[in-house]
Amino acid sequence: MKYLLYISLAFFATVSLVGCKDDEEEVLENPGTFSIYFENQVDGAPMVLDTAGNTNYRYTAANGQRFNFSLFGFYVSEIKLEGPDGATFVDPMNVSADAASVKGYYQVLQSNPSSSTINLANVPAGKYNKLTFTIGINEDGVEEGAAGGVLDPANGAWFWNWNSGYINFAMEGTAENSPQPYVDYGGGFVSYEKTYNIHVGGWKNLPADSTGTQNFVNNVKTITIDLQTDVTVKEGSSPMAHITVDPMKLINESGLDFSTTYQVHTPGKGQPFANKLSSVFTLDHVHE
Amino acid sequence: MAGMILLLGSCAKNEPLESKANPYKFVVPSNFPQPTYTFENNPITEDGFKLGRKLFYDGILSIDGSVSCNSCHQQALAFADSRQHPLSRGVGDRIGIRNAPSLTNLAFMPDFFWDGGVNHLDFVPLNAIESEVEMDETLENVLAKLNANSTYRGLFKQAFGIDSITSPYLLHALSQFTAMMVSANSKYDKYVRNEGQTLTEAEMQGLQTFKSKCSSCHSGELFSDFSFKNNGLDTASDLGRGRITEQISDYYKFRVPSLRNVARTAPYIHNAGFWTLEEVLDHYASGIVHSSTLDPSLQNGIQLTQQEKDNIISFLNTLSDYEFVDDERFFNPD
Repeated sequence: MKYLLYISLAFFATVSLVGCKDDEEEVLENPGTFSIYFENQVDGAPMVLDTAGNTNYRYTAANGQRFNFSLFGFYVSEIKLEGPDGATFVDPMNVSADAASVKGYYQVLQSNPSSSTINLANVPAGKYNKLTFTIGINEDGVEEGAAGGVLDPANGAWFWNWNSGYINFAMEGTAENSPQPYVDYGGGFVSYEKTYNIHVGGWKNLPADSTGTQNFVNNVKTITIDLQTDVTVKEGSSPMAHITVDPMKLINESGLDFSTTYQVHTPGKGQPFANKLSSVFTLDHVHE
Repeated sequence: MAGMILLLGSCAKNEPLESKANPYKFVVPSNFPQPTYTFENNPITEDGFKLGRKLFYDGILSIDGSVSCNSCHQQALAFADSRQHPLSRGVGDRIGIRNAPSLTNLAFMPDFFWDGGVNHLDFVPLNAIESEVEMDETLENVLAKLNANSTYRGLFKQAFGIDSITSPYLLHALSQFTAMMVSANSKYDKYVRNEGQTLTEAEMQGLQTFKSKCSSCHSGELFSDFSFKNNGLDTASDLGRGRITEQISDYYKFRVPSLRNVARTAPYIHNAGFWTLEEVLDHYASGIVHSSTLDPSLQNGIQLTQQEKDNIISFLNTLSDYEFVDDERFFNPD
């Protein structure tokens, strides 16, 4: 067997050497890395989290309502880089029960600084000027069944049992105008007074029924970022796209009134937020 | 090269063993559609199936150990609930809002529960485990209990090669057990597959009437088109499919259930509103309550003579699969 392996290796080595001679020089370059850094901000300043139920209202929305954040985060998946000369990188995706085999799904949490940076490896050398990614987990991630890692509900994944699927984007905190009373659900589960929980989920994109009604709201959104420059990816350099994520834009553009909208837990109720998500993600700059 | 040939040779030698009837191999009955379950992500093995079975019968999934899957899904009733529990009964005798359905042929279904809110068999047990009127437990705590149990740690290691039990493997084990619950050996199946079984005259006439008056919804060999319909019940408390889709046009609609083993799965309808098949047929014949989402096919009810009702019930009894309810593979191992 070993002998056979050596023969194969020698054969492939010869073929690839021959192939290289005919190819353009660019193809010879080794792949590099590309990182995406999500910086969560509120009105242009780094986001500060407060503990759940804390009534220190450090932020004020355009409508004058005061609030804070105790949780903020989102899923990122389907990352793709494209360049002006045809260079393309598609982040490999995989759903598996084995946490180590789950690929291409990321949960960015304000409470976990290390989750803010996504490091893409094996990006083909070349120039890139466009970044796209999905906020949320679409049907490819849900239809495969139970999964591990950031998709494991017992490991912090945001999962809806009753209308199965993942929460794409979530923000929680306390708001002066929220009518939420204190509720003790038992087992350590508590809703504090004046809290809000905005969970934007919904992925089902099923065909319309016989009456033509499209029965599900799909809140999984694709974000496209113009990198505003041609970023060179090559071995040894580590370019990074610094993306700012400002939910104040979402709150203001969706006209969120905490006195009426303070518990959002269905795709339909989440739709007004999902529809404004693209304005939340903007390019700050690119480090070469 | 010699090693290669030897290896191939040993594979070939093993083949007869592989093809020998393996009771833990998923087999699609010849009269059934193709399965929907993602077996490629979770291939059934004897160890995985038996682990799922042990979990199915174990109260460890519930907060106080008092409720197992089997509490509401009993094999003698094709894994439906009994008339003693018309609505599901959880920990502390808490009562649910719907009748626990029969668990058969789940590997062929497009989605789950009376409202179809769950898209994949793996995600079904999460609802029972975490519902406060069912097991009232958290997934995290179930895993903590399983990881603290050396027997379960050993069984998960054996089935999946893992040292620490995580939720996808728990759910995969349960799916291996429930996906195998294929009921396809009723009198009707043996008749329709030409296996030498005949139907009586009443059963045949019932089948004909069923085909002309019931099969627009209860279609195919699973006896459901898996759509959601408002079938004219006088209930306004449970939105059914409307809770999932958030569309007023779906209010009070519920899954058209499969009718396999229906003679064993009383009471009937999502709210357990009917005790017998006679009552169900009487409802369709003369009890339809009109509302804006009532299914168009039921506007005038389904006209049935007493003879037709009797014959339909004779036919429905041919859907009882006694081999399935007696299948030792599904027995409680402990």
